[in-house]
Amino acid sequence: MNYVLRTRLQKRVGNFFSYLIMILVAITVLVPFAGLLLTSIKQDSEYIVWPIILFPEIPQWINYVNAFLLIPLSRVAVRTAVLGIVVSILVTFSSSLVGFAFARYKVKGSRFLFFLVVSLMIIPVIVILIPQFIIYSYLHLTNSYWPWIFNAIAGNSFFIFLFRQFFLSFPKELEDAAEVDGASPFRIYWQIFLPNAKPVIAAVMVFAFQGVWSDYFMPLILLNDDKTLLSVKLASGYVNPQGFSLTTISMAANVMYIIPLVILFFLAQKHIIRGVVTSGLKG
Amino acid sequence: MDTALKSLPKVKGRKRRIWTRSQRKTADFYLFVSPWILGFLLLIVVPLIVAILASLTNYDGLSLNTIRWVGFSNYERALTNIDVDVKFSFTRTVMWGLLNLPTWLAISFGMALILNQNLKARGLFRTIYYIPSIVPLVAAMTAWKVMLDKNVGWLNGFLSLFWPGTAIGWLSEHALTGMTIVAVWTGLGTAMVIFLAGLQNIPDELVEAARIDGANGLQIFRFITLPLMTPVIFLQLIMGLIGVFQQLNLPLVLTQVGISRGAVPPRQIYLFMYHVYRQMFVSNRWGYGIALILIMFVVVSILTFIVFWTEKYWVYSDTQGEGD
Repeated sequence: MNYVLRTRLQKRVGNFFSYLIMILVAITVLVPFAGLLLTSIKQDSEYIVWPIILFPEIPQWINYVNAFLLIPLSRVAVRTAVLGIVVSILVTFSSSLVGFAFARYKVKGSRFLFFLVVSLMIIPVIVILIPQFIIYSYLHLTNSYWPWIFNAIAGNSFFIFLFRQFFLSFPKELEDAAEVDGASPFRIYWQIFLPNAKPVIAAVMVFAFQGVWSDYFMPLILLNDDKTLLSVKLASGYVNPQGFSLTTISMAANVMYIIPLVILFFLAQKHIIRGVVTSGLKG
Repeated sequence: MDTALKSLPKVKGRKRRIWTRSQRKTADFYLFVSPWILGFLLLIVVPLIVAILASLTNYDGLSLNTIRWVGFSNYERALTNIDVDVKFSFTRTVMWGLLNLPTWLAISFGMALILNQNLKARGLFRTIYYIPSIVPLVAAMTAWKVMLDKNVGWLNGFLSLFWPGTAIGWLSEHALTGMTIVAVWTGLGTAMVIFLAGLQNIPDELVEAARIDGANGLQIFRFITLPLMTPVIFLQLIMGLIGVFQQLNLPLVLTQVGISRGAVPPRQIYLFMYHVYRQMFVSNRWGYGIALILIMFVVVSILTFIVFWTEKYWVYSDTQGEGD
């Protein structure tokens, strides 16, 4: 009895500390968002005062309007979104096709090729990106979106891996039956495997879209100001004619920049987390 | 099955009659992976060859007319301390890794351990911790600027409650710490979710059996949880290591968003890849910059191999144990 009481007490105390840490960490994680939101409705003069004023005297919602007026924000956003959607469709298609082949075919060379796919995950991207840039500029493909398209068509190691892992779990009888019925291998992929891979498709499409939407380096080196994407535009666009940063307006723009990703995350949360876990546990 | 095969040649347009089943399978496989193979050759192998060739020239990134072979002089310049910033930025990168990697792994692992208990609302907390992972770096840096600014940042404001007048330059003199905070914030969710899944794969019977044998929480952690988690830690360590050496975006975005535009980042966070970036995009020394990238690639590969070599000493493998 005494023993039971003691362990129960220990558990209570343990739980209390667990909750305390969880709440403290949650606050630390969320405070920067609060800072961003509150600053986005301040005047610049309210942002640069000490001691800090947490809440603006009058919320400056006009910052959200000005974010659109100072730079062609909506045009850049549409451009980024369209590129993101095109890339995510292409990369989903190619990666699922390649992943299907690796999951269902054991032929000469397939093991070696899959080893290559996985090893590419640990090659630093930058080692490839810079020489790619040289080639693109030689071919006059800089300041165009072709580099994104090419990379998407070639598929992505990480996505190929996700699709392969998923397709491995499909029963062999499924394709045997289809094959007996005379379905071509492509039809087996297109009509049996792909429609049943919705969780992975959702995750991969979100990851790919997020990649285009968030990436800073590729648009920075490849695109001029007239074609650039959101990340670069937001990092450099909000200055007044004297060259000083318009901090609070840029914060408003950044709030709007994050929102689509947050929505996407909540729509596909389960699939995203499963995708992250698959790659992290077995990669 | 056999009848299915025999019926195939009759299908209109099939000229593969002479192919055996396995040959046909092989052809199908290579057809399916052809986008990837093409991409691999054109987008990875060719660029790597271009990189190796360019590193032996004085390529300035502007014109091919003035290009000429310079042999290994770019490598010489990189390795003989003519450019003192090579050694400096490499040291900064190592410091960055030493601070960032353990902090990130420890906090992510710790939070995963806490969330792995049977507590209420842990799903909510998991979601909260994951959200920073989806925030683009530009937005993350903008948000953290409000926190870390030397004069009006919330962190210094908070510290001033206890030590009035605190003015720590989290984005300038102490940028290494500041950037670690940003990196851990953005990286926490992904690693934690992976660790959490790893922890949930540990069989309950194992923990129960140990508890019945009288093991306390610390012993269970030391002799069951930790050994069984080493494969997951190992993988995160490898990916983290590669991330450390190619870290360029943090100092780059810091100079664009955090401090004044176009400035050189604070010396504390003047990382190797940032030095390389400046060689190419500011000083037009592309041949030299690419030589530096290739040197970095070799260093990362060696380090990765070393970590892989240590695997057998500390990483649990279920082929030798009793795993499922």
